[in-house]
Amino acid sequence: MPGGYMGKILRVDLTTGSMKDENLPEEPLLRRFLGGQALATYILLRELPLDAKPFGAESKVVMMTGPITGTGFTPGGTKVTAVYLSPLTEYTLGRGAASGFWPVYLKAAGYDGIIIEGVAPRPTYLFINEGKAELRDASRVWGKGARETEDLLREDVGFKDAKVMCIGPAGENLVRAAMLVNDYNHNAAHSGGAVFGSKKLKAIVVCGTARPRLHDKARLIEAGVRWQSATRFQYTIAKKMTAGKGLDLEAIPNLNFRSSLIADHARGFDQNRVTLRPCFQCPRLCPWDVEIGEGPRKGVVGHFNAGSEWLDTFFNLGIKGNEVLYLAEKINDLGIECSHFSCGVAVAFEAWEKGLLGPEQTEGLRFEWGNVEVVDRLLDMAARREGRWGNLFAEGPMQVAEAIGGDAPQWVVHTKKGTPALHDWRPHLGHMIREIVATGGMKPQGAGGTGMAKPAPDLRYREKWGPLDRDDATGWPWSHILTEQYRQFCGIIGGCWFAQNDNKPDGLKSIVDCLSATTGWNFDLDEALLAGHRSMILQSLFGTQRGWIAEHDWQHIGRRFIEPIPDGKFQGFTIGKWLPEMVYEYHRLSGRHEKTGRPFMDTLITLGLEEFKEWAQLD
Amino acid sequence: MNPKYGSLIPTSRLLDGKPRTILFDSTKCIGCRQCVHACKDWHDHRRTSIYELSGTNWITMEPPVLEGLSSLWARNSCMHCEFPMCAAVCPVEAITKYEEGPVGINQETCIGCEYCIYACPWGVITMSDVTHKAAKCTMCSDRVSGDKSPFCVQACPVGALEFGLEEAISAKASKCAQENGGYLYGDKEAGGTQLLYVLKEKKEDYGVCPVGLERYPRHKIPLGLMLKDLFTLRYGFTGKIRALYFAIIHPQRLIYRYWPWRSVA
Repeated sequence: MPGGYMGKILRVDLTTGSMKDENLPEEPLLRRFLGGQALATYILLRELPLDAKPFGAESKVVMMTGPITGTGFTPGGTKVTAVYLSPLTEYTLGRGAASGFWPVYLKAAGYDGIIIEGVAPRPTYLFINEGKAELRDASRVWGKGARETEDLLREDVGFKDAKVMCIGPAGENLVRAAMLVNDYNHNAAHSGGAVFGSKKLKAIVVCGTARPRLHDKARLIEAGVRWQSATRFQYTIAKKMTAGKGLDLEAIPNLNFRSSLIADHARGFDQNRVTLRPCFQCPRLCPWDVEIGEGPRKGVVGHFNAGSEWLDTFFNLGIKGNEVLYLAEKINDLGIECSHFSCGVAVAFEAWEKGLLGPEQTEGLRFEWGNVEVVDRLLDMAARREGRWGNLFAEGPMQVAEAIGGDAPQWVVHTKKGTPALHDWRPHLGHMIREIVATGGMKPQGAGGTGMAKPAPDLRYREKWGPLDRDDATGWPWSHILTEQYRQFCGIIGGCWFAQNDNKPDGLKSIVDCLSATTGWNFDLDEALLAGHRSMILQSLFGTQRGWIAEHDWQHIGRRFIEPIPDGKFQGFTIGKWLPEMVYEYHRLSGRHEKTGRPFMDTLITLGLEEFKEWAQLD
Repeated sequence: MNPKYGSLIPTSRLLDGKPRTILFDSTKCIGCRQCVHACKDWHDHRRTSIYELSGTNWITMEPPVLEGLSSLWARNSCMHCEFPMCAAVCPVEAITKYEEGPVGINQETCIGCEYCIYACPWGVITMSDVTHKAAKCTMCSDRVSGDKSPFCVQACPVGALEFGLEEAISAKASKCAQENGGYLYGDKEAGGTQLLYVLKEKKEDYGVCPVGLERYPRHKIPLGLMLKDLFTLRYGFTGKIRALYFAIIHPQRLIYRYWPWRSVA
């Protein structure tokens, strides 16, 4: 067996309680799929019935680490990816990836991945300890938030070092975008939690002492040091006291994306006490804890990661300062993906502002921008599907808009009924392509970005263009495909793409060399990009099988998301003027038909995916 | 025999004979424990608990709580004393003080008598439950001999750990202490160690050991253990013979073991 792998997948049938160890695929297949989303999607493609429903008993969740997860010698060697039929779109691949420590300890417990099937008869948690798995009663923690669940389950199993991946009340109540939460600060966001909830699976606790065999440890250490040099960026405490990613994007969503101005959103943050809590052996220092230092929430502790979607989530609702951190901690503890909540509530608040909703329709709750009390209450209601509005916010922003009626459906920010990561991406072509096409799913794995204007330095041997112009559509789709390929590659080998810096020489090559040193395979950049492309097409095939077509990418977008930006530095800009051509070109260049999204036979042959020829574009 | 260490601590040389020191700056430490994992990764230790010292876990960060849940952190690992009591009490001279700084327990020679475990004033030596030998941090002597720094040092993401020649590190530590209104720890304890901590709050707040300043500090090897060693085959017959051999050729060393209250120059 190649280095990096533990060699076993655990298959759990929650209905019968049976558990089985299975082998990883044989090496030729393993080298093609590697792990993570690609291997997990391949398994799901072969096993999930075409008429399965997201919350049905026949639904499955496949969780898979990669060969570099948990070696200890690379930055970002921390990932597990979970795939399932998306409860948000109901016809594309749902995907969430988590970092922190749980993925490392899944391998320490002896497994590369887990396949979860069936429905448990009562609230249950899975406990894997040193290669032995058992299902245990979770009634003590059912109903509890993610933080308390972690603490109680660690106590329950009696191992201080045990790691917990769990759902909060949102997952239990099948909130459509409920998250998996692990190691306090981390999430596999995007609805895996809801599928767990439908299976009455509260948590997976892992514990163990094994480490993967490494093919060439000295070479891996060397390549890891190179990766670390390329990554170079490191979060500081000071950076955690700002308004977050909105500053990099130069736009913050306000009032349901009707203003992108940045103001005093971060007021009071400088009074807080911040602690950096890095993921396993990663020097980027993304995760952080905060103790609020001023105001009515003084003393409240929050556990966050990088990304800051949960800041923009509440900025979007007209809230600023430390109240945002209080609410963000709450939404993470409840386990709701923040964008799902924000986009739904924002439509309702806009409806209230415009007179479409009044207190008679909202059971007396004042749906006002900046009303912290009401947002606090709505969080609890959404997590538990309490009342008409709790249920609507749990369902999603499209459902909220349809219930309100009138012009409300035009105000929803959504992509194929799911929500983009909650930031104002609209000023940036690269980010917007990513959110719209999402690799043929609904949620993209990294990719896109502002740095796509020139080829990554490591790709200059085969890519010659740039810098691309933000006022000209030419070249952006191909650039995006490349970033999708190398971000997917990073993810499927078990790496975190936040730690992948394509802007520096050796930024990509070092990661490829880490894989080679770990496994013993001799990968080069071309094979790596091919593996990434393969992963994209697998995700696309999953959607094709269930009715997704490429046209949906640009047709099923919330109008608000592609309206011209109303104000600020990028006033008037929108990707809208280049739709659908940009989406067509993206699909063509990725080897798929521009309208159906089906891969051409040539594409399947190049990627070694002929077994899916039934779903190919045959004319 | 190295005159610096008094009589009969086994000494040796790895590289160039120049002493090196590890600097631990608690004012920078975030308690992430990447140093702890790095040590395990370098030495291929199983992923045993990071909250307690063991044969496969050679560093802990105190207090033993989840990362992020304390505002003060202190490293707990071998101090690589200048006058190592563990080396002094070992009946088979299995512990060597290298001139470059590391104190190393030879895993072949060790007979598992546990004297060093009791003698260590910091309590950082443990018994491996696999090999039944004493084990502790080696200051990565295998890396130091190649003029590289210990793996924990190169792993620290915030620069709380540094490594270098004793003089340079001492100067740096003093400067850090001054800049932060802190003080040094590990420079005088037990007569001096190769670990320098920069601390700011009270020692008790960090949970560091209150070790005195005298060399070869007092220790207590349980009488019961010593009697068992003298009158039973506790650590094997060959071990006994070897211990007897060393007792005969180096009788002065017995002072370290049986009369620890006598001050030794």
